[in-house]
Amino acid sequence: MGAEDYGLPKQTHDIFAIMARGHFISSNGTKDGMNRLYDIINNPENFDKLQGYFNVIRYNIERGNNYFYFSRVNEANSLIEQKLETFERYIDVIDLFASMDNKITIGSRFRPSEIAEECNANVRLKQKLQKIPMYRSETLLNKVRDICNLMTRDSFLELEDEQTESYKVLDAYTYLMDMINAISIYEETTGTDSNSSGIILN
Amino acid sequence: MENVRILNRIVEINIANVKYADIELCGNTCFVGTNNFGKTSLQRAILFFYSANSRGLGIAQSQKSFEEHYFRYENSYLIYEIATEDKNFFVMVYRHNKLVFRFVDAPFNPDFFLNNNDEAMKIKEIISNLEKRGVYISNQIDTFERYRNIIYGTETDKQLSKFHLLKGNEKYQNIPKSITNVFLSSKSSIDSRFIKDFIANSLTTENSSIKLEQVERQLRQFNEKYTDIETYVKKETQQLIELIDKKYDQVHMLKGAQMEMADKLGSSLRFAENQNEAIREASKKKEEELETLTTEHEALKDSIESKQNDIREEIGYYDRTIREANKKLKEYKEKNIDEAVEKNAEREKLQVELNIARREYESLTSNVSSIELKYSSLIEQLRNDKTAYINKINSKTGEIFNHYNELQLLQKNEFSKRDVELKEKRDEAMGDVTSEVTAKQIEFNELKSEEKVIRNTRFYEQEIKALENELAELRAVSYKNKSERAIKQNMVQTIQREWESLETRLKTSLSNRVNQTNNEIIRVKNEIKEIEGKLNVQHDAFYGFLEKNVKGWHETIGKVVNEKLLFRTDISPEVKEETANTLYGISLNLENVEIVSKSIEEYQFEKNERLATIRDLEESLNQFQAANNEEKMLAADKFGKQLGELKEDVKVLSYSLELADKREQKLGVELEDWKTKAGSEIEESLSGNRQRLNIIEEELTILNKKKNLLVNDFNTQFERLRTYNEERLADLKERQETEISELEVEKKNQVKEFESKEDELQKEKDTNFKSKGVDAKQLKSVENRMKDINDALKEIEQYAQIVSDYLKDKREKFDKLPDLIQKKEEFMKSNNDLATQLEEATRKYNLKRMELNKQKRAFDEELIEFNNGVNFFSNNFRETPVYNKYAEIIERAEPKRTNYNIMDLCTQLLKNDSHFNEEYGAFQRYVNEFAGKFRIDNHFNFMIRNDATQGEYERFAQNLRSFINENKIELSIAETATQIGLVTDSIATKVKELSGQKDKIQHIITLIAEDFKKAEFEESKLIEFIKIKIEESDNKVYKLLKRIEEFREEHGLVYNEGLFNTDFATGQKREISGRAVKLLEQLRSAIKEGEQEEIRLQDLFELKFNIKEGMNETGWTHKIDSIGSTGTDILVKAIIYITLLHVFIKESSHRSSKDFKVHCIIDEVGQISAHYLRELLKFAKNRNIMMINGLPNKSGLESHYRYTYQFRKEDSGNVRIFPSIVTEVEA
Repeated sequence: MGAEDYGLPKQTHDIFAIMARGHFISSNGTKDGMNRLYDIINNPENFDKLQGYFNVIRYNIERGNNYFYFSRVNEANSLIEQKLETFERYIDVIDLFASMDNKITIGSRFRPSEIAEECNANVRLKQKLQKIPMYRSETLLNKVRDICNLMTRDSFLELEDEQTESYKVLDAYTYLMDMINAISIYEETTGTDSNSSGIILN
Repeated sequence: MENVRILNRIVEINIANVKYADIELCGNTCFVGTNNFGKTSLQRAILFFYSANSRGLGIAQSQKSFEEHYFRYENSYLIYEIATEDKNFFVMVYRHNKLVFRFVDAPFNPDFFLNNNDEAMKIKEIISNLEKRGVYISNQIDTFERYRNIIYGTETDKQLSKFHLLKGNEKYQNIPKSITNVFLSSKSSIDSRFIKDFIANSLTTENSSIKLEQVERQLRQFNEKYTDIETYVKKETQQLIELIDKKYDQVHMLKGAQMEMADKLGSSLRFAENQNEAIREASKKKEEELETLTTEHEALKDSIESKQNDIREEIGYYDRTIREANKKLKEYKEKNIDEAVEKNAEREKLQVELNIARREYESLTSNVSSIELKYSSLIEQLRNDKTAYINKINSKTGEIFNHYNELQLLQKNEFSKRDVELKEKRDEAMGDVTSEVTAKQIEFNELKSEEKVIRNTRFYEQEIKALENELAELRAVSYKNKSERAIKQNMVQTIQREWESLETRLKTSLSNRVNQTNNEIIRVKNEIKEIEGKLNVQHDAFYGFLEKNVKGWHETIGKVVNEKLLFRTDISPEVKEETANTLYGISLNLENVEIVSKSIEEYQFEKNERLATIRDLEESLNQFQAANNEEKMLAADKFGKQLGELKEDVKVLSYSLELADKREQKLGVELEDWKTKAGSEIEESLSGNRQRLNIIEEELTILNKKKNLLVNDFNTQFERLRTYNEERLADLKERQETEISELEVEKKNQVKEFESKEDELQKEKDTNFKSKGVDAKQLKSVENRMKDINDALKEIEQYAQIVSDYLKDKREKFDKLPDLIQKKEEFMKSNNDLATQLEEATRKYNLKRMELNKQKRAFDEELIEFNNGVNFFSNNFRETPVYNKYAEIIERAEPKRTNYNIMDLCTQLLKNDSHFNEEYGAFQRYVNEFAGKFRIDNHFNFMIRNDATQGEYERFAQNLRSFINENKIELSIAETATQIGLVTDSIATKVKELSGQKDKIQHIITLIAEDFKKAEFEESKLIEFIKIKIEESDNKVYKLLKRIEEFREEHGLVYNEGLFNTDFATGQKREISGRAVKLLEQLRSAIKEGEQEEIRLQDLFELKFNIKEGMNETGWTHKIDSIGSTGTDILVKAIIYITLLHVFIKESSHRSSKDFKVHCIIDEVGQISAHYLRELLKFAKNRNIMMINGLPNKSGLESHYRYTYQFRKEDSGNVRIFPSIVTEVEA
């Protein structure tokens, strides 16, 4: 029995395959018909059906600004912790991207070599880049490439042109920005209150 | 020699590694030779005769080309001799850069080509040799096509038309194709695909396939454009466009403002730098002017004051003199000087009277001189005593008088002294107060003048005037811009209306044309249907009957029969010999009657013609649509550009008006500010002034009061002093008078005593005189007279000194008083004049000083402001990125005075830049987000690099604006709509073209099936039957292509109109378009998945066989791997080939052309049994086909062929081909 039999769009499987891996579906993504998938989920008729369908298997479709992703209902704390650890690395990456002369924002197109060049020319950026833990990245360019690969893998970027090594920033990047913006840093207090941790994440 | 046309022989001269070979082919021929000896090469050379296509001979790409391999030398010749009904001719092939042909109207003769040394001659020699012999040789035939036309009898040149092998029809190309296909098929298994390929390849040209790469490219292009447009029309994208547009305006405005400000800053800086020294100089000059003015004024003041002092001294002198004179005069008056002077005037007269009295008295007393003497001496003594006493008293009185006088004098002196002192004190005090009052008064006057000056001064006049001028200019420009905008808006409306009307016209014309074409197509389709109906029923109808049974019926019945009757199936025609050639028994001469009936070909032709008409109609509609679109696009381009430009102009004008409006408001506010500032400056100055005036007034009042108090005080003091003095004097006088009166009383008493004693003496004398007779009475009277005179004289003598002084004073002073007063008044007037002059000069000086001070202060303030500004610029601005951003504008600015100071401009620029950066960041983000929504190589060219400059971002926004203004999206939609139309149309046309040949395939398959039926397999019972049938294709891509074609047929050409159409009224079209887009997308995916390069004719159908060999029946299948033994397989394959060849030759040759034979070249038949081979050769022979086969070695099979040639490789590497002597056991 296929998805269509439940009145679901026939791309349901594709949608699930992407989002169940923790990836995002962005409206400006072009690879593998991502924008089409976005349009399908964004269609109110489909959205409700898909939401209902995925809720059964304890997935919830979350809507961001021009992107969708899955959240799990009652996720284990250990998983959340793991996710936070993964996210931690992005803080430095976003910090680096936001410090560039040509700020990297949604829809920006860039090549790793451009970023590496700018980092090479700017000590501050170089330090920021060096601070990002990436194993086996011997040169700055390789490090930036690794970052881009990582972000592409996590569906924040898209490798638009392999020949020119041109990446495009997808709408899901907003998720990272929102996460960063949601971080509040509090002064450490002497008490042992559980609310006194350094970083509070929403 | 048979009476048929056939390739009789092939001669190779210097071909490949064969020096010379002459091979006869006029019968089944077999080549025996080991592999790589050249069997296949020879077979290829034979095939080239039929195909004349050097590329389609099965030579691998890696191998040398046909030309290179076969025609190595300039004297390489390939000669084909063709036997005909009467005389043989040959055609030679040689290389003249490329391969060329010449037909020679003579049987082949080696002498034509070989010289005496058996060496091949060059072509020129051969030609001249032939010409010498009078043999016709054709011109060089340069193209394979022409050669084929000649060989297959379609050449129109009469000289060449005789050189044909057979007379082909328009499909003659199938013959070489079929022969080639048989030769090239080497698979042992029988696969329907091969047969399909065979049939399809025979029927189609190279171009009659649907190149999927091309379709995929078209689909991709369409899909990309469609996706781009879809992305563009999305709500979020439109929102982003609005945001970009808005932000761009803001950024642009901010940038403009920043640039303007930078320009002002630059101007101010240049001005400050240029003017610094000048202002310093000007300030210095003003200071000098001020000093000069002060000096001049001081000098004037000094001179006037010195004059005033002199005058005052004069006045003082005269005043003093006058006062003293008056005082003396008053004193004289008090002493009754007039009376004294009058009495003094009588002195001489009294002296004379006294002398007279004395003489009279002496005369009277001359008789009684002794008595007289005695008594006179006594009296005299008494008198002397009395006088002494009086004198003593007088002296005492005098002393007292003098003493008191002295005291009085002292008192007076003291009074005077104290009076003077007090006066001096008063004068001093008064002088201080007066000078203070005067100073205050001057100040007061100055302030008053200043107030007057202030009231007349227009503060910030320059700024206000500049602003007023600017406002006036701005209003004038705004007015101009408003009218221009109104004009342009009108033009926009006009152009829009024009554009709309043109669009409507185009739309209507397209729709009319579409309707018209569709109607026409429907009509033609109906006709086709009718023809097809006829064709379908013709077998069973009267027509089919006539075709089968009546030879040349078109010439007879065809001229008189009703066409409808021909296709009736219900009239059961029968041939009755007795009525043959008559019409119901009536003979007619039909020679001159036109034929009514049509041949099947003619019907087919008519159908094709109509199909072509439909194609033409569709093509014409397409062209019309394309032209329509083109026109639409041209209009869009023309009007869009105009509109875009106008709208841009309107926007620019609106923007400049908006800016002007803002500027006007700003200037208005500034003007008001300046005015208010000027007013408040006046008020401030006036209020300062007034305050000062009030203070001074108060001070003056206080001073006046003080003065009055002082005056009063001094007056009191004076009064006290005077009272005291008067009291003291009165006291002294009183005491003087008391003492004197006491003395006078004493004196009087004493004098009385003396007088009584004198009287006693006088009486005694008188008594004595009487006694002596002297008139005592007269004497008494004389004495009294003398006494009175003496008294009068004494009195006169008493005032003599005063009178004398008075007269002297009168002469010296009193008489000159009027002159003195006159002079004093003159001096007073001069003094007043000088005071006025000084006052006026001081006022003027103060005004001028104030003005100069103000100017100097202004210069100083400006200088300070400039220096502060320049310092601020150097310390706080120059090192910032903002400076670098606008450095060029700042550095290039013209020196000019502005209304803003440098510091404010720097601060504002820094502040604005931060705002600008914020806004610009947002603008950049929107542009990135917008561009990111599109593919990197989107056809709108919405692409921005991450490291793009500000200029590039701004150009992006400008281009986007132009895009919107020129309504380019409509153009793009129109283009895309046309494209989808063209794509579907192109697909439909191709599919139609291709599937149009399905009929042919069906026809061929039917013929093949029939031919299989006809095969006389029964004799050997080897193969019971070979059946073949056609089925629908299961090719996914083709199915989709077909669906698209059907869709296109169903919905016509203009469903593309609905693309992106949001109009409810035409919503239906949108749904249709949506389906079209979906179908195209499916097709694209299928093409991608399938990895098929093209859809050929063979993909349109499936072919199935059913073969029964002995007891084995394969059943309906696509592919028969093995029917029986390999030999059986080869046999079946060969049978199928021969059948195919036969069918194609029959189909492709003219009906009249029957006397010809062709060759079927099948290389390896070594594994076939002799029995089978005989069957095969017989099967071929029955179909006028000669077999050319290859055998690896002699096995007895060769004995079934008419000609057998053996191949031997010589030591030199050359191959020798020679006939083998065998006995033919022909089938």
